[in-house]
Amino acid sequence: MVKFLKPGKAVIVLQGRFAGRKAVIIRCFDEGTRDRPYGHCLVAGILKYPKKVIRKDSAKKTAKKSRVKAFLKVVNYSHIMPTRYTLDVDLKDVVSLDALQSRDKKVAACKETKARFEERFKTGKNRWFFTKLRF
Amino acid sequence: MVVAKKTKKSQESINNRLALVVKSGKYTLGYKTVLRSLRNNRGKLVIISNNCPPLEKSAIEYYAMLAKVGVHHFNGNNVDLGTACGKYFRVCCLSIIDPGDSDIIKSMPGDQ
Repeated sequence: MVKFLKPGKAVIVLQGRFAGRKAVIIRCFDEGTRDRPYGHCLVAGILKYPKKVIRKDSAKKTAKKSRVKAFLKVVNYSHIMPTRYTLDVDLKDVVSLDALQSRDKKVAACKETKARFEERFKTGKNRWFFTKLRF
Repeated sequence: MVVAKKTKKSQESINNRLALVVKSGKYTLGYKTVLRSLRNNRGKLVIISNNCPPLEKSAIEYYAMLAKVGVHHFNGNNVDLGTACGKYFRVCCLSIIDPGDSDIIKSMPGDQ
């Protein structure tokens, strides 16, 4: 019995507006809280995946195609599907529960998450995470 | 892959062990609670009937692979598994949380 729902685990959101999107767990609340008496976690995911970049794309086009749009969500454990992949992007300082309290804090946190995701995508690592799940 | 034909004897022994778990240990029945027990690391062994829907079966096997928990494919359908647990309803999958006096976890580490 290994604990596998840990920060850094790549998951797939199953329900809601972001169903089918890949996300990474930032913070887990295994026991739940007063407002949410069930196991849940804070995830940062990809809303718009980067498009496929080909060799003959110009630099301007590559930059445009490599853009990522991110989302933040607090999601119930039963609404995510854990995978065997991990994504070790340090988002703990950027994404926190109070970033989700107000709209402008959330937008700022999403922008920072987007920047971190984009720089990870450009290194070419974690390619599975940045490809769209086909279904 | 050739799977050895389950002998009558080992099937009985699984049933005996399961009966002992039901009597003395803790377990949960049903897909939702099995996944929950795997998520919060309480599940120690998962037993799946042979007519479990394939999507649920593969989901449980994947969770069990992540949690490093053994999965045992029961040689019988959900009616038989329910009977083996001493229940009057069908059981597709169950998770053993605390084996009690039984040695089911040690003797069936799970066969894929």
